[in-house]
Amino acid sequence: MTSLPGARLTLAVTRFCRALRDAGIATTPAETIDAVRALALVDVTDRDEVFMALRAVLVTRPEDYETFAALFDAFWRAPRSGEARRGPPRPAVRPPGERAPEIVAATLQRWARVADDSGAPPAALPAPSAHEVLATREVSGFGDAELRAIERVVARMARRLAMRPSRRWRPASRGARLSLRRTLRQGIATGGVPLDLAFRRRKVRRTSLVVLCDVSGSMELYARFLLQVLYAMQHAFARVETFAFATRLSHITEPLGAPHYARALERVAATVRDWSGGTRIGECVAAFEAHWRRLVDRRTVVVILSDGWDTGDPEVLGRALARLHERAGRVVWLNPLLGAPGYQPLTRGMQAALPHVDVFRPVHDLASLEALLPHLSL
Amino acid sequence: MREEIQRIQRLMEREHYVTDRSIATAVYLALALEKPLLVEGHPGVGKTDIAKVLARATGADLIRLQCYEGLDATTALYEWNYPKQLLHIQLEQGSARPLAEREAAIFSEPFLLKRPLLQAITHEGRAPVLLIDEVDRSDEEFEAFLLEVLSDFQVTIPEIGTVRATRRPAVVLTSNRTRELSEALRRRCLYLWIDYPSLEKELHIVRAKVPGIDEALARSVTAFVQSLRRMALAKTPGVAETLDWAAALVALHAAELDAEVVRETMGCLVKDERDLRLVGAALDAGDLPAMLTPLP
Repeated sequence: MTSLPGARLTLAVTRFCRALRDAGIATTPAETIDAVRALALVDVTDRDEVFMALRAVLVTRPEDYETFAALFDAFWRAPRSGEARRGPPRPAVRPPGERAPEIVAATLQRWARVADDSGAPPAALPAPSAHEVLATREVSGFGDAELRAIERVVARMARRLAMRPSRRWRPASRGARLSLRRTLRQGIATGGVPLDLAFRRRKVRRTSLVVLCDVSGSMELYARFLLQVLYAMQHAFARVETFAFATRLSHITEPLGAPHYARALERVAATVRDWSGGTRIGECVAAFEAHWRRLVDRRTVVVILSDGWDTGDPEVLGRALARLHERAGRVVWLNPLLGAPGYQPLTRGMQAALPHVDVFRPVHDLASLEALLPHLSL
Repeated sequence: MREEIQRIQRLMEREHYVTDRSIATAVYLALALEKPLLVEGHPGVGKTDIAKVLARATGADLIRLQCYEGLDATTALYEWNYPKQLLHIQLEQGSARPLAEREAAIFSEPFLLKRPLLQAITHEGRAPVLLIDEVDRSDEEFEAFLLEVLSDFQVTIPEIGTVRATRRPAVVLTSNRTRELSEALRRRCLYLWIDYPSLEKELHIVRAKVPGIDEALARSVTAFVQSLRRMALAKTPGVAETLDWAAALVALHAAELDAEVVRETMGCLVKDERDLRLVGAALDAGDLPAMLTPLP
């Protein structure tokens, strides 16, 4: 590429930044300015150097390296071909938010309908007859009272999880530890005699939560209840990331965070594409490990909501879960089936998972959710 | 290529740090634009070394701040030397000096304990290299504080006043990505992701860092590690592990790799019990052919 005069270079960089934004790589005006400054510092006749310079300034995470490279190639072609003047090419990468028009499966609507249903009592037993009843019921508004009750329990859960002493200190009027710094400072007024003691206390540490919810066909029965729990969790915890999975993993934190339950449901339904399909828990947990591992550290409680019916390779599940378990503060597996009398977690998937799970509890109705409280602490 | 970038590459190579153009370009731009450089990558790919080598190559002092959970402004910036202050108060007890004067005395610079960030700001002479290592281990509050310090390199100490850096230190931040850093911090920095090196680059590194290694051994060591990285291990060996292993093999006078030598020395390379079993099984099954057939 040939050297451009300053104004044109600035224009080109600005356009390029806009193309990056369209492709989902957010750039700020400050970065655009830095990019222009950076180009003044490198050899603009050297394409590779321009590439590396712009990448260092404009990209802030490795996931975006590939998109950046593709856009760079498309954008910074030799200007002599006259192509550069035509403005930035539309990126091949699909911008976030714009989805391929995928057909929403009938099962999805069934899920949403079951989820919206208010008349039915919370699904308690995994009997096929109960399934029929729920699945055929018509939509008739939804159970506000039940959602409130769930929200109350989840709020208690949130408080419980949040109560962890941190290693940081905060000033306190009384407490176990003396704050030497403040005591001395106050002591100056009395000639170095520390009359007023100042204290410090441990801060309370925030725990974060990662929820992975199985939305495959076998979980349909518990859909309404679980969606309410997910919604309540999303709103009760300060830091929670929620994912839904059946055969693939979908990140639903954002849609689930919508201010109203009905609205949140709508948006979740539009985000998740494989409702009520088969289950590949192992692959989904592995996918989580591969792409979202940064969400999990020792202060994270990972909650998996699934019945453990896995059509994938149980070994994949075992391995992925073992890794997750290694880094997470706690791995909690909540299995709705566990509430059913006589249920034994004998499925191969469940067997592979159990060694890497700290807490294995039932969750299928309000009572079981409440019973969970003492088991949830980091 | 810009001459300055070549110079940086040469300087770093002189310190036995094998760079490529993307590293040299990022370092050059960070210095020229006076922006912090955020380096991310897997453990053991030489993130921290960038700062160390940069300091050595340019003859600047290196100031290091190791981050950890619970690190706070006091430990990173400054602290008053309480015992010394107490002692001083005791000594001054009989003196007729006015209170204000006595207070000013104990809150003056001789009573100040400078921690890395303040050291970097008040550093005399040539601008130092400030290494903020493993930022991802600190918490969000500290990150926010760091952002403030990094944006104008000035600090206000209530008792003394505002201290401003006369020369902006070159700042290198490293992160293992155990958690996502805030968008604000990322945007403040130039960004560099260091991936595992290619076979050629790693071979280059082994030759540079393990003096006296036999060429054939260097090749098979590198090829073996590269094939390990393709396995699904819990802890993928980094370049640091390759170098440890190569050095161990040299110390053991191993001329070439065979299954037995690998098994004996695998502890240098694979540091997870389950991984050890996995690699052991792969060795038994002959699934790691890279070591058995020396590369051309």
